[in-house]
Amino acid sequence: MFAGENGLQGDPRLKAISEAIRVIPHFPKPGIMFQDITTLLLDHKAFKDTVDIFVDRYRDMDISVVAGVEARGFMFGPSIALAIGAKFIPLRKPKKLPGKVISESYVLEYGTDCLEMHVGAVQPGERALVIDDLVATGGTLSAAIRLLERVGAEVVECACVIGLPEVKGQCRLNGRPLYILVEPRQLTSASVYSDQS
Amino acid sequence: MQNASLESVFYSQKNHISPPFLSPSSSDSLFSPSPERHRVSVATNSGKRSPLNRFNNYQPALHPLRCTVELKQQMATEEAAQIQDPRIAGISSSIRVIPDFPKPGIMFQDITTLLLDPKAFKDTIDLFVERYKGKDISVVAGIEARGFIFGPPIALAIGAKFVPMRKPNKLPETQKFPYKLVSCKEGNVIRVYIASREVISEKYSLEYGTDIMEMHVGAVQPGERALVVDDLIATGGTLCAAIKLLERVGVHVVESACVIELKELKGRERLVDKSLFVLISST
Repeated sequence: MFAGENGLQGDPRLKAISEAIRVIPHFPKPGIMFQDITTLLLDHKAFKDTVDIFVDRYRDMDISVVAGVEARGFMFGPSIALAIGAKFIPLRKPKKLPGKVISESYVLEYGTDCLEMHVGAVQPGERALVIDDLVATGGTLSAAIRLLERVGAEVVECACVIGLPEVKGQCRLNGRPLYILVEPRQLTSASVYSDQS
Repeated sequence: MQNASLESVFYSQKNHISPPFLSPSSSDSLFSPSPERHRVSVATNSGKRSPLNRFNNYQPALHPLRCTVELKQQMATEEAAQIQDPRIAGISSSIRVIPDFPKPGIMFQDITTLLLDPKAFKDTIDLFVERYKGKDISVVAGIEARGFIFGPPIALAIGAKFVPMRKPNKLPETQKFPYKLVSCKEGNVIRVYIASREVISEKYSLEYGTDIMEMHVGAVQPGERALVVDDLIATGGTLCAAIKLLERVGVHVVESACVIELKELKGRERLVDKSLFVLISST
């Protein structure tokens, strides 16, 4: 579900967050309009508002785990975890985590990839939030949900800054709720060529 | 603050950590909560400029090389009298060591267990924020990927922007121009720069082989004051590459900040006169 249609109608922060995101055409390959959140990170107020919106939503939901998907999920997840008093769990590409891990593979457009989590990081019954910068097909987030559920955690919600059209109208992913702040920006000359807001 | 289940699952080998080791550019007065104690410490430095004073004024008090030598001497005499911030012990004990990762002989300092301890994680960020808030730092640069975990909370708390320093080809560019290879010889090292319009790259050496780090050119402006953040400094090669990237576009790197320093790998020496601040020094 989109924040602007659920509780944050007309919130000016959402507009500013959307405008802080830069569109890069044909990256990483032709036809893809890449939603670049690095410009959001350069705008202190918009970045802070992004974190604050998530914190306001999750602080009273008794969430003890925030799981962030490598690598852009690492840029949002820890700040949310710190503010709501939860632990932060990095979900990483293979062979990055040093200890004992469990793995979950997922399908890409061409081929498969794999997400890993440390064994013992999450206890059964813990309530978890999954965070990433963007959800497209939902493949990565679905793998994250499966990892957490395999160790007995309850995934309360998946949260993303941006949600692509594939997930528009979908309120759930793998049966778990999905919460999105903004839709992708369209390509305009302003969004492409402005480096910083 | 560790719960029983955490210890039973995780590696409980005692972390070989020496007493907290503050960089030459800090003093115990930095951690004292009372500003009066800080001022007293500066006044009793027998006329020498305190490293904190240097940091605050943002001008080296002395010639850079002499300053470093004097600071090291000062630190050696202060070390015995240093009062450890009480939060350091909890942070230190929350980090676990994984032997033989990523290869045999390496004792890997795993900060993921620190992230599982909300108090230790918060204390870590607070210690950095207390040091850097109000110091006119407008950029926090975090090194992929563990620098992405510590950098943004610090940036948000001190009012700075966050700039990710990334592995190659992760940062988006509007167009890949033909690569222009520029090589320049510095002593025994030949540096190769790959020039493209929006991303600049720095090639650097690792223990085995080389790697490349990239940054968006337009993310920072000349004259900005920056902090570079990573979880750990080992040989210092990665941090040096990040500092060089920022300096190439005219940014002043005020300090590098890490949770852990691996002293025996001499990263601090590799940084030469670049300021380094760490919470924990591991031998």
